[in-house]
Amino acid sequence: MTRRPGNGKGDEVSKNLRKQVETGILHVVRGMGIMAALLGAMVLTGCGDGKNSAEKFAEQGILIIGNNAEPQSLDPHKATAVADGKIISTLLEGLVRPDAQEEGRVHPGMAERWEHNADASEWTFYLREAAWSDGKPVRAQDFVYAYKRLLHPEFAGRYAEMLYPLKGAEAYNKGQASWEAVGVHAADERTLRLTLNGPTPHLLQLVLHFTWYPLPEHHVEACGGMLDRSSRWTQLGHWVGNGAYVYSGHRFNDFLSVSPNPRYWRAGEVRNRGIRFLPIVNGYTETRMYIGGKLHITNNVPPEMLARACAVVPQHFCQDPYYCTIFYRLNTARPPLNDVRVRRALSLAIDRDTLVNKVVRGAGKATGVFTPPGAGYAAEPPSFMRGGSQAEREALARHLLAEAGYAGGKNFPVLELMTTSRDVQRVMAETIQAMWKDVLGIHVEIRSCEWTAYKSAQQSMQYDISSSSWSGDYLDSSTFVELWRSGGGNNCTGWGNTECDAAIQAARVSGHAAERNAHLRRAESIMLEAQPVIPLYTSERTYLKHPGISGWYPLMLDNHPLDAVQLPTPVQP
Amino acid sequence: MIRLLLRRLAQGLLVVFVLETITFFLVRLLPGNPFLGDRKLPEHIMAQLNNLYGLDQPAWVQYLNYWKGILLHGDFGPSLVREGVQVSTIISQAFPVSLEVGVVGMLIAVCVGIPAGMLAAWYRNRWPDALLMLPAMAGICIPAFVTAPVFGLVLGTRVPGLSVAGWDNPLCVVLPALTLGLINAAYIARLTRGGMVEVLAQDFVRTARAKGCGPLRLLYVHAMRSGLLPAVSYLGPAFAALITGSFVVETCFQVPGMGLHFVNATTDRDYFLIQGLVFCYGSLIVAANLVVDLVLVALNPRLRSQGTA
Repeated sequence: MTRRPGNGKGDEVSKNLRKQVETGILHVVRGMGIMAALLGAMVLTGCGDGKNSAEKFAEQGILIIGNNAEPQSLDPHKATAVADGKIISTLLEGLVRPDAQEEGRVHPGMAERWEHNADASEWTFYLREAAWSDGKPVRAQDFVYAYKRLLHPEFAGRYAEMLYPLKGAEAYNKGQASWEAVGVHAADERTLRLTLNGPTPHLLQLVLHFTWYPLPEHHVEACGGMLDRSSRWTQLGHWVGNGAYVYSGHRFNDFLSVSPNPRYWRAGEVRNRGIRFLPIVNGYTETRMYIGGKLHITNNVPPEMLARACAVVPQHFCQDPYYCTIFYRLNTARPPLNDVRVRRALSLAIDRDTLVNKVVRGAGKATGVFTPPGAGYAAEPPSFMRGGSQAEREALARHLLAEAGYAGGKNFPVLELMTTSRDVQRVMAETIQAMWKDVLGIHVEIRSCEWTAYKSAQQSMQYDISSSSWSGDYLDSSTFVELWRSGGGNNCTGWGNTECDAAIQAARVSGHAAERNAHLRRAESIMLEAQPVIPLYTSERTYLKHPGISGWYPLMLDNHPLDAVQLPTPVQP
Repeated sequence: MIRLLLRRLAQGLLVVFVLETITFFLVRLLPGNPFLGDRKLPEHIMAQLNNLYGLDQPAWVQYLNYWKGILLHGDFGPSLVREGVQVSTIISQAFPVSLEVGVVGMLIAVCVGIPAGMLAAWYRNRWPDALLMLPAMAGICIPAFVTAPVFGLVLGTRVPGLSVAGWDNPLCVVLPALTLGLINAAYIARLTRGGMVEVLAQDFVRTARAKGCGPLRLLYVHAMRSGLLPAVSYLGPAFAALITGSFVVETCFQVPGMGLHFVNATTDRDYFLIQGLVFCYGSLIVAANLVVDLVLVALNPRLRSQGTA
């Protein structure tokens, strides 16, 4: 028995009609098929020559590099993000420039030499003969102009704090003093004098940061003036800089390109013919793009992709130390986290090795300290965490919690653990939640927030426990330790200690590196004993890089001088 | 017809106005502000920034200023996160990209969805029906964040010429458009099947044939016109959604379109950019619905008589 189409009235349709309608449908299908084929042909027209983007750009000597996010601004006084800084440091050059290979070593940049007084509180920089990309000379006044702009009380420079080591800078920025009181002075066109609040032996590390770069005064003034935040001077077609490259192309969320600046004073030493920065936020997409031949260097391989990346392109995989610590902030203004025993118990109950091996999959190193190793001094874990096995630490955690009145987690309130919506943070929170449940018998709720809500809650201290990270702006322990001043803007834990503050202040006025480091170490030690934060691990950068690329070495600040990077020709995917 | 058009236009303007108003106040209720960054800004800097962009004024003053900017100067204002860049600049760069992906995606959706739906309707409850509707159901159920990476890995890395992600050659449009197109094709196929099944079973199809109507005329003039009504109703909003970008697909394929801006502007609290994008999206939805209404009136004589009445 043959089944008929239709809804029961099919019998009424004659066989002939059915055949004819089938023919009609086939016509429609054929028509649509032809349309699809035409569409395909249209799209495939201009099909490539078999070379991928990485190969094509390598042939032109152009480096393609993943840059994590769309830059907010190329104006060094509006930018704050790491992604912005990477681009800006190719377009502008400060007094000194970083070494491509050796951590913390600097080379003369716009300054060809410098000197300072005995306690390193007054510095004089002698500028070389150099030009902006429009041919005008770079003068000491351009540095003065830039610093005045960032600090100007009406400009609202987001990163103005970076210049606070300059004498009188903070007071001027807050409108409490005049510009004349600020320790910046151009003795002549080639001599810049900086007077600092106190001994600053690490100034050369500070001035590597883009907030210390000069601005072309003549051009900024021509484009609207010092205080014009909508100034066109950083826009495509209007850019003037003194760096190795000039701004040459941009499409939002697609790419930003820079090409060599022929007027750069070391133009002959630039080892590539341009850079394309790709603002790829998603690490999975970026890794796929690298494997698909779209990039020469990626920004980040997410933990979940590490195994695949290592399997597919093992010789391309890189893992470098990064000047960054991942930790949990505890709101010490709220009970029971105002009890140091509870904070220590929470810290001791976390098995950091498991966290690093299973969650972060090796992209970090377990730590009990806040300042990563690599600059200044090697911090020591607090006394209650030294020695012993994880089982012993867990036993101590239970003991401390019982002492605080929560034996076995009894009567312990339900706390909230706030994280961002990033996968790795969520998984880490779930792992720690389970550890605290197993070891201490306490329950924490996880609140996963989108980025701005998370930052807003953290900065206004509307949280119990908050997942956090901190990366150094410059290679010096103070960038980590100064965070824990009482009432410091980025402290956000409610914790403060007069002894810790005194040690930080002592470090600020100390002119000797060893003595200064001893003060900073003491400040950190006081903070760690109180555990307003739970350090978890020091981060490591995992990324992919074509093995034929030269001039790129592991740097903790990830501030690679990209003009030193050379592409192999041709690049093999 | 003209009265219908004018009525719909007036309704559309009202919809966009209400949409903008609700969005304006809603985004300001979200926690945080556009100037929050990794590091906490000193209070005096935050106050200066709020003052510079008028965010320290009462909400109703900001609201009036916003409309004044649009109506008097045609200006959506500056981006608060990418300072110095106008919202109109961002939209004018991103929209053509999303439009390209959307148009190609919609062509794929229509070319695949309508024939599949028609075949499935004709072979209702037989194996071709199951063969076509099973992937259609899968297309509806499997989210784009699964389909997109799979296409990227399977096709992007293996088919010569196709691009795994990025927007640096003309072929980069293929996989994002295919992802969006096939998802929409699944919906269209289901809707077409439903519509055609109903129409093919009706008496007028048999009557038409009895009067000597040929198969092509029968399908194109009689059956398809009514059978495609559900799919056509869907096409309007779907097309507007496609050409304004999909965050998931644009993220997976690194397409510099509107979808990325939409979500990033919201998470960054870039108030003026959100307003500009909502205005754009709302206007396109209204326009697409207007076109669909007109097409439906053209296809359906009953609606035409109602419209005239």
